[in-house]
Amino acid sequence: MAIDHRMTRRIARASLVGTMLGLASMACGQSAPPMGANLEGVWKIAAPTTVLKPIAGAVPFTAEGRKAYEANKTLRVQRKFDDYDITLSRCSNPGVPRLALTPMRFKIWNRQGVVTFDYEWNRALRQINVGVPPQPDLMGQGLVPTMTGKSKGHWEGDTLVSVMQGGSDRTLIDDLVPHGYDLKVTERYRLVDANTLEDRITVEDPAFFTQPWTSVVTYKRQPDAIFAEDVCLDRIAAKQPAFSK
Amino acid sequence: MTTRFPFSTTMRRPIAAATALMLAVTPALVQAQQGPPGGQMQLPPGASGGPPPGAPTGPVLTDAQKIVADLPPPGPGLIPPRPPLPADAVMPTADPRDLQGTWVNNQPLQFRSQRDMYGALAPYTMAGAKVLSRRVMSLKAGKPFINASAICRPPGPQWQRDLNFPFSIIQDKDHVEVLFEEYHGRWYISLDPQGVPLPTQKQYMGRSIGHWDGGTLVVETTDFRQAIWLDVDGTPLSANGKLIQRMRKVSDVGRVPFLEVVTTIIDPTYYTAPWTIVRTFGWAPHQAVFAEYNCEEQVGDPSVSADAGLVPEPRD
Repeated sequence: MAIDHRMTRRIARASLVGTMLGLASMACGQSAPPMGANLEGVWKIAAPTTVLKPIAGAVPFTAEGRKAYEANKTLRVQRKFDDYDITLSRCSNPGVPRLALTPMRFKIWNRQGVVTFDYEWNRALRQINVGVPPQPDLMGQGLVPTMTGKSKGHWEGDTLVSVMQGGSDRTLIDDLVPHGYDLKVTERYRLVDANTLEDRITVEDPAFFTQPWTSVVTYKRQPDAIFAEDVCLDRIAAKQPAFSK
Repeated sequence: MTTRFPFSTTMRRPIAAATALMLAVTPALVQAQQGPPGGQMQLPPGASGGPPPGAPTGPVLTDAQKIVADLPPPGPGLIPPRPPLPADAVMPTADPRDLQGTWVNNQPLQFRSQRDMYGALAPYTMAGAKVLSRRVMSLKAGKPFINASAICRPPGPQWQRDLNFPFSIIQDKDHVEVLFEEYHGRWYISLDPQGVPLPTQKQYMGRSIGHWDGGTLVVETTDFRQAIWLDVDGTPLSANGKLIQRMRKVSDVGRVPFLEVVTTIIDPTYYTAPWTIVRTFGWAPHQAVFAEYNCEEQVGDPSVSADAGLVPEPRD
């Protein structure tokens, strides 16, 4: 996006001036990605799916993981969605990594040391902190597990690496695969080409999986756009599915 | 807005303290206005009570304004505790047309915007006064009405900005996007409706078109999907109402800039004339990582009341 290049130049100029004046470095400068790593834009999943499929083999469930997975399958057949998937039943945030499978578009913003995933689906947000120093939690918000947990990111060359932890156990990995509080999701975002974004997702949770497993989801760049308001609860109220095509 | 006051993060505690002080002294002020307790004020010889002949009298309230003036006063707003701006924080750019970055309301939340930025009571129509009165009294009776925020729907740009939670402004050449921490809030402003079209369907947040007037972004918001509440107490705006927002950075030398939003409310259904309120927002890049907002988890929980104890509002 055009503004990004202007921003980059402004940041570079400001950083130079700051250095010359002996000022402390700015948070923005510390987290600026290297050249060629601009992930900003509008994206959409290339091959819509509800399943996060391992790149090799099957999901390596532990006995506990397998049991929970089979229970979810049974509940789905019984259409007891709220008993295992509050995204489908209530439009609750799908969390990480399931947000990666949302069928609608999303935008990526890389500003102020934060990479923001700005989803069209239900106006959901997910952020990766790549440069904002930790702040005192004066309102105690960090005490409660959240659907998207806390994502800490850094750049490895052109790749944005994010590690998410602290997520609620009320989300699913995809539309069926369960996890616990010890879920750790490592993502590696990179541009395969100018119009293709890849998210290489590694899932770890010793209680549910015998070993880390990895999946890859790709996205295609979309024209810049103002998204219409997507209100999932309006769909539910109209007896439509939480996820529209 | 001619009044300028530089913002610094250290002002928050003094503001809160000043608010507390104001609350503490309010009874004394009221008493002073009513005269000394227990008796008639002693006037000097030859003096008579009341204003001198020809002196301007106070504003004459309309019947509608009298209804609002008789309502219980709005609750005192507070500023939630927020971490102070770090000394080495990135600063906004000097470009007045670059509003980008993270901001947060730096004033106590106004539960009810019943006065304009000059202190005059809002010019309610009788319909406006009745709607507001109905909402305030329902709150007082412990049976508040369901509004958009209570059921996880977008509450409109004024309510959304007013909350003491951060929002981030992102600008592109032809549109502006405001991402709010709360309510999954998005406020899109098209600077070129032909280039990047706005949604054709009516939106809860309305349809916003902006242009630059010098260093001020002027945004007209119309075509609301439904009537909205302008604040927590329910100051009304009909679906046909209009908000004109004038947004600018106020930047005095040596001070951290703040964002000023002057909003003019135009709605013949509920107001006899346009009226204007002002809000200011502090620079908060250190709050760019938002807390998660996931109201659907609670609203959809079958173990709790779906309406959270709120009751439907009667239709006009």
